[in-house]
Formats: sequence, structure tokens, C-alpha cells
Amino acid sequence: MATSSALPGARFVDPAVLARIGRLDLLARTVVDGFINGLHRAPYFGASIDFAEHRGYVPGDDIRRVDWKVFGRTDRFYIKQYDADTNTNFSVLLDVSTSMSFGSGPLTKLEYASYLAACMGYMAQAQRDRVGIITFDREIVAHVPPSAKHFNVLLHTLDRARPGRPGDFCPPVKKAAEFFKRRGFVAIISDLYEDPEQILEAVKPLHHLGNDLLIFHVLDKAELEFTYTDASRFRDLETDEELPVVPESLTPEYRRLMAAHIEALRSRFSDNRIDYTVVDTSKPLDEALFRYLATREKMSRVR
Amino acid sequence: MSFLTPAFFIGLLAIGIPILIHLTQKEKKTIVDFPSLMFLRRIPYTSVRRRSIRDLWLLLLRVAALLLMVLAFSRPWFSAGSLAAKLPGSTRDVVILLDRSASMGYGDRWARAQAEARQVAAGLRGDDRGTLVLFGSNAEEHVRATADRVRLSQAIDAAKVGAEATRFAPALRLAQSILAQSARPRREVVLISDFQKIGWAKQEDIHLPEGATLTPVSVGGGNTSDVGVTTVTFARNQFSGQDRVVATAGVANRSAKPVADVPVSLEIDGHVVDTKTVSLAPNGTSPVTFAEFTVADENVRGRITAGGAGGAGGAGDAWPADNSFFFVLSPGRPVRVLIVQPDQADRDASLYLATALGIGEAPKFDVETIAASKLTGAALDKRAVVILNDTSALPAGAADALTRFVERGGGVLVGAAANAKWSGSEQTALMPGVLGAPVDRPTGRVGALGYLDYSHPVFEVFRTPRAGSFSGVHFFRYRTLDPKANRVLARFDDGGAAMVERKIGGGHVIAWTTSLDGSWNDLAVKPAFLPFVRQVAVFLSAFQNADAWQIAGRALDVTSKVQAAPVGAVGGVVSTPSGERVSLTDNGRPAFVELGEQGFYTVRLSGARDAARPLTVAVNIDPAETDLTAVDPQEFVAKVTGRADGANAGKEQALADITPADAERRQGIWWYLLLLGAGVLVLESWLANRLSKGPGIMQSPQV
Repeated sequence: MATSSALPGARFVDPAVLARIGRLDLLARTVVDGFINGLHRAPYFGASIDFAEHRGYVPGDDIRRVDWKVFGRTDRFYIKQYDADTNTNFSVLLDVSTSMSFGSGPLTKLEYASYLAACMGYMAQAQRDRVGIITFDREIVAHVPPSAKHFNVLLHTLDRARPGRPGDFCPPVKKAAEFFKRRGFVAIISDLYEDPEQILEAVKPLHHLGNDLLIFHVLDKAELEFTYTDASRFRDLETDEELPVVPESLTPEYRRLMAAHIEALRSRFSDNRIDYTVVDTSKPLDEALFRYLATREKMSRVR
Repeated sequence: MSFLTPAFFIGLLAIGIPILIHLTQKEKKTIVDFPSLMFLRRIPYTSVRRRSIRDLWLLLLRVAALLLMVLAFSRPWFSAGSLAAKLPGSTRDVVILLDRSASMGYGDRWARAQAEARQVAAGLRGDDRGTLVLFGSNAEEHVRATADRVRLSQAIDAAKVGAEATRFAPALRLAQSILAQSARPRREVVLISDFQKIGWAKQEDIHLPEGATLTPVSVGGGNTSDVGVTTVTFARNQFSGQDRVVATAGVANRSAKPVADVPVSLEIDGHVVDTKTVSLAPNGTSPVTFAEFTVADENVRGRITAGGAGGAGGAGDAWPADNSFFFVLSPGRPVRVLIVQPDQADRDASLYLATALGIGEAPKFDVETIAASKLTGAALDKRAVVILNDTSALPAGAADALTRFVERGGGVLVGAAANAKWSGSEQTALMPGVLGAPVDRPTGRVGALGYLDYSHPVFEVFRTPRAGSFSGVHFFRYRTLDPKANRVLARFDDGGAAMVERKIGGGHVIAWTTSLDGSWNDLAVKPAFLPFVRQVAVFLSAFQNADAWQIAGRALDVTSKVQAAPVGAVGGVVSTPSGERVSLTDNGRPAFVELGEQGFYTVRLSGARDAARPLTVAVNIDPAETDLTAVDPQEFVAKVTGRADGANAGKEQALADITPADAERRQGIWWYLLLLGAGVLVLESWLANRLSKGPGIMQSPQV
């Protein structure tokens, strides 16, 4: 199913369609292939597997990488260096707390987050990056270290991920920092129901290790806009606490608080050069994937 | 618009149900799972629980649907007027009755009345026709059934307040006749007046055509503030051969507040001769007597004015018209009577007659008694009445002179007793019949009058009970008289003529077939004798009281004035108080002058002997008109139409005349209301369905 999208040239893939596909590998392939094919006309398409630069030959280099044309012109040995050769660790930190089980549409936040993680893993694996995943709620649930062969394990982990316990963002994220010995690319996918300051404190260790952080704030449309009308008892999915609510009079205030929360996160992450994206689960994955590729492009430029 | 089943309006209470529902924030039984109550907990509880009307549009639709259905079931019914106003081709015939009586000059009543009339005229649409009737004591059709609204408005603008009294009946009768000739479906009478109570007499019977409506528009009411002169009386006495007159004016205060020191002045021929001040209690009256003055000439003009130039009550007097009272006085002129008695009669033969005629002032009789042999034509000069008191034979030529005297308007009373002897020619020329022999009533059975013609002016005053009776009068003897074709005014109990009248030219001859003293009857010593003799003399002299003033709205017969002051033919010019000059035509018929204005009318008759002081008639507002008490307009309409339900005179009849198709058309709107209500309900269902599918009942997905 294809409809118009706000992004030029991108094929829209509805999350509802993704939900029917089921298998994460097929899903990731479908989304990413379609997505990349569509991006050929994009002006800022990244060069992740293309030629990056030349450098002088040093003993030990594979002579097959010597650029003979340059040698013919300059009489010096230069090695052609490709981005494809610069594989790195790509890790996903996925929140699987019970709050991620919420969804007003066909997909829950966790399902959407899983698809997002799978897509990004697929693209990383396609350029031979090492992929890994850590799922967490109030503590780390599963840990798959980055490896070039772990894409299937990543998909398997995502498939098994079930929201079971209330979440607590900071402890498991701080704990996860201990697993990262090598700098890499870390995508944190969570609904971030925590104080923005504490969230920042939790992700700082990862950032200080040299990892490029990309934080996806996954929110349902109902969470963003709070479009309820009937007075009801609202139950917190994590604490089971119930609260009588008359949405009519509460909605503006809720939206204001939510916007303030997002703005606070955006401000703090921006100050610390951490990429932050709000992901609306009612919208296609493309936006999140664009954000991922844009970040990768930035990494390649500053290399 | 009315409703056939208004009880259904109780259903309006149901409107409270949706309002209550929309006010009640019903908590759903299902619990909504939400990722985190982190933000909700921060919002104050009170604002969370605050209640207000939600889904306003849905509520409005529900209320509208209920309203429409209640309205439909209550079956609106459009009355004839309101429906007819909307039906094509339903034209109106409107009669505007505009009161221009003197009381409309009070305050701004006339301006308001004109404005109301203009508004009615402006309300005419299309082929509607309007008729303007101005009325006071008489009604006049000013503009006849026209669709020209400009002409109507111009006529209304040109109309002025008159001096007449208020009489509704003539105006309503005129409207009745106008509408009776109209074939238009809607006929209306709009009565614009101050609705004075004195304008309607209960016995007046008005029947507006069926279906016609009478709409009252009142410009009166409220508290009145007015001081006016309501009447003037005169006391005359003679001094040195001249009439001395004392005038007494009645001044009335028509307000609820007392007034003090109101100056009241008397003017004679334009000169103020006396001024008094008077203080009046609320709604009180007070007499003001002025100094004596002399009336030396004919037609002396007098005027009594309450207050100065600013009006009687000063600034608070809203009706200046009744502040002045006009009158005309002339020196008293006695009726000259000649009594002719037999030559051989003693001096007291006419004592009773002369004494009876010598008593009284209005009129005053100047009586002279002579012997029959001295009756000549010259003796009749300047006489108004000649009484032949049982005369025997008249001198030669006297009968002819008497005949000419009667033909000129003189009156002759013939008392026929024992001496009365008339030749055949004399009887033919003068007597109202043929005299016969005396009739004696049998001893012990006296005669009496068995029949009196109370319709005749002589006996009219005896018509009412206790006004004097002839039943106790005993007649012992009388002369027979064959009245022939003459009018018999009285008969004895045996059928014989007692009194017969004959008209000759401009005068009358009355024969009394018994004596005028106490010889043949005892009438002379009965109480009825005095008024009887005076009435006969007044009738024969054609005496008319010279009224000091006339009431506005009446017509003055100038011919009678001419006869009262014997002059020649009728013809001349009449000057009205406003200065207009009206010519009188001499066509042999009575010439009437309509007295529509307050003030002095001057009649200059051609051939009048005293041209220096022409005949003058003073005209005043009817004193009754100064009573500004108003009647409630609706009550008035109920009186006129005889219905307690107000203005629609023919409403019941109109309802009875409604055809089934018309009836259905008048109440068929309920179908449309019901359909509209159903449409609103469909819209409500759609909106409610749409709202119920919204995020408001969004469920958390199964995890």
C-alpha cells in the first residue's frame, strides 16, 4: 500500500502492512530495499559503501588496493580506501518495559520499535557492520554483543521481546555502558518516561565512550495528542495505578506537559551532541530511517 | 398563531434530559490502559473532575429535535389574519377612523394620532385599499377607498383637530356601511382615538360586517392636567329700560392636583370688563360671578377666558381649547300678546289670561287687552299673538286683517264660549272648523278631557308624569266644533273637539271650544292653566329662545333665525371663526350653516335691517367633551362588537366559514416540523456515531 508521504521520493510503507508481514528479516528487507531504491533521487544520499579517500601505501597493505592510475600519474603508491571497509559496531538498546506494550493503532510501540531496530540492523549488516542488541526494562533482559554474524540473533531477540515488567530507564542503560569496549553506533529506542535530566545522565556514559548515540523517542499518537473524550479510569501500564480522568478539561494541559517533556529532552540532547528523534508510531518508518542514515552520513564526513 | 394541542408543551421538560446527560461526565466502566500517568498526575485533580457541557453541537441537535417534535405535536394553528396576510391575493379594505374631536387637541394626542394613522396607511400593501374617515360628533369620509397611500398620507397630514364632541357611533356606522359594500377577503377598521367615555352610549347598536375586525389604537390615557370654562349662566334684570346681565362662569379643574389663583376674565365686545381669580380643588369646579354689565345692542359678543395667554393652568395646561367660552347676548324682547274681549264684557273678563301670561321671564309676555270693536289692522302691528276671548262679532275687515296676520306668521287663539258668533265667511277664513251650539253636560256629570295630543308642542310638556294634569278639570259646557280636516289637539270625554289647530300661511289658529275663564269650566283655577296658556302663547308666537351659544358640531338653520327676527329672504354670507367666508344661497330651502369651529360665526343676511351688528352665533366645545375620562380600548371594542374576546368582531363566524382545505393549510405546518425534527435526529445520529468512533473510546490493544 502506498500513499503520499511528506518525504520526497520515499516510498511509504504503512506500519499496518508491516504488521501483516510478520517475519522480521523479510520485513527489514522489504522496508529497507524499498526505502533505498526510493532514495536514489535524494540529494543527500549517503556514501556508505562508496569510495571515501586515498592514503599513502604503507608496508603491509594489500597491494590489490593500490590505485594504479594514481601511481601512473604521480609515481607514488596510494591505497583507495572505501567506506565499506570501515565496518563498526551497531548496537540497539531497546526498551521492552510494559509501557512499550501500548498502542492505539494496529502496532504497539514495542512492535514498531522492533521493526525500526530490525531495519537499522539490516542496513548495518548489509554494509558489514557488526550488529548487536540489548533489551531492557528495569534491568537488562537480553544482551547480544555486536558481531557480523549476529543479525539473525538480533532478529530472533527482537522476535522474542515481550513487555513483562515495569521499566526503569537509567539503571539498565548505565549498566549497558559497561558492555561497550569499542566505540560504535548506539541506537536507543524507548518511550523515555523519565525525568529528562536523569535520562541524560544515564546516556552520558555511552556518549563518553565515544559512541555515536541516536535516541528514538517512540510515542503513540494517543500519547502525543491525548484524543480521549470520555471520562474514564486510566491505568498506568507500569504501576497499575488508576486515576479518574475527564479528558475534556485535561487534554490541553496534558499536551502542554508532553510538549515540554519532549522539548526538554531535545534541548538537553542537542546540548550534548546527541541525536534525538521523536517517532510517532502512526507514521511510516521512513522518517526514523532517514534520521538514522543522516546520522551515518554525518559520521562519514567527520571521519 | 395559536396551538390546537398546547398540552404537548409539557414535553418541553424533556429538553432537560439531554442537557443533564451532556452535563454528566459519565465514567466508562472500561478502564483505559495508558503507558504512564506521569503527566496526568501532575494536573490538579479539580480540573480533571470539572464538569461542563460537552459535545455542544450534539446537545444542540438533540434539543432542537425535541423542540421541533414538541412544536409539531402541539399543532400550530395560524389565525385567519396572520395566515391571510401571507396568502397571495388576500387584499384588505382598511377604514381608518381618525378622531378629530376637540379633546384630541389635548397635549400631543393629535400628532400621535396622525402618526398612527400614517403608520396604518404605510402598512397597506399592493392592492390594499384604505379609507380615511374623520369624525367628531359627525363622521365624514375624507378619502374614499384608495390604494394610493400617498394620497392617504397627505389627507392625514392635512386633517386638523375640530371643536366637536366625541361620538363613536356615526363613525362606526359609516365604517360599517363602507365595509358592507366591500367584497375583499379582509376588512378592517382601525379606530384611532383618545377613547373618551362620553363618546359611546350603551344603546348604540353597531354591527360590523362578518369577518371584519376592529382594532383600537389609543392615544389618550394617563393623568390629565387641564383647567377650562365649562358653562356660563346669565341673570338679567331691567334697569332704566336696559338689560343688565350678571354672568356666572363654571370653571373646572380636570387634574388630580389643585390649582390656585387662576385668573378668569370676562370680555364684552373685545374689552375686558372684569377679572376674577379662582382656586380649584383636584377635579373640582367653582363658579365665578362677574360684575354686572349692560346689554344695549343686539348680538353683543362675550368671551370668558380662564388663565392668561399661557392657558388656564399655566404651563401644566395641555388643552388650551377649553379655556375660552364664547357667548352672544341681545336685549330681552317680550312677546307681545293682544287679548280681544267682547265689548260688553267687564274688565276682569280676561283676568286669568292676562295674569297667567304676565308671570314668567322666558319668554316675557307683553299683554294688552282691547275690546273687539277696536280690533283693526293697526292693532295687530308688532303683535305676535292675538287671543279672541269669547268675542262676538268682529268689526268689518278685522277678519281679513287677522287672516293676513296669521299668514305672516302670527298666532290666534280663539276662545269660543257663549258670546262667540262667527259668520260663515269668517269661519271659513279663520276658524279651524265650524262652531256649533253649546253642549251642556247633564247635572251631576261634568265633562273632562278624554284625549290630549301629547305630540303637539302645546301638550308636550304635560307628557311626563307629575308634569301637570288635566284630569281634574271639570267642563260644564262647551261649543261643538266640526274640525273638518284640521288637527284636533284635545277632545272631551264624549268625543267632542275641545281644541283644534289650523295652519294658515306661516301662522296658526287654535280654537278652544269652551271658555278661557271660569264660567264654563274650572280650568282657570287649576294648576295646569298657567303652563297651558303660556305653552299655547309660545307656540302661536313661534317664540324661540335666543341661545347665547351653540355647541360645535351642530347645524344652524339660518331660516329660523330670519323668522325669529322678521326680515326678508334668506341669503347672505357667513364668516367662520377662522375667517372663511361661506355664501348662503337663496333657493327657498332652509339654509344651514355647519358650526364646526369654536368662536363666533357672523351671518350677514341680505335684506337684514341691522347690518351694523349682524347676526352672530357663538360656538363652544360641548361641555361634555371636557370630561377627558377614557374607557379601556379593549373594553370599548368588547362593547361595540358585543364580544368579550376583543377585537375580532367576526372571528367565530370566520372560523365557521373555514373550508377543510383552508383548515388543513392553517395547521399543516406540523408535518414540516415533524419532518424537520426527524431530519435533525438523523443528523444527530450521524454526529453521535461519529463522535463515538473517535479517540474517546479508544481501547488499548491486547498485549
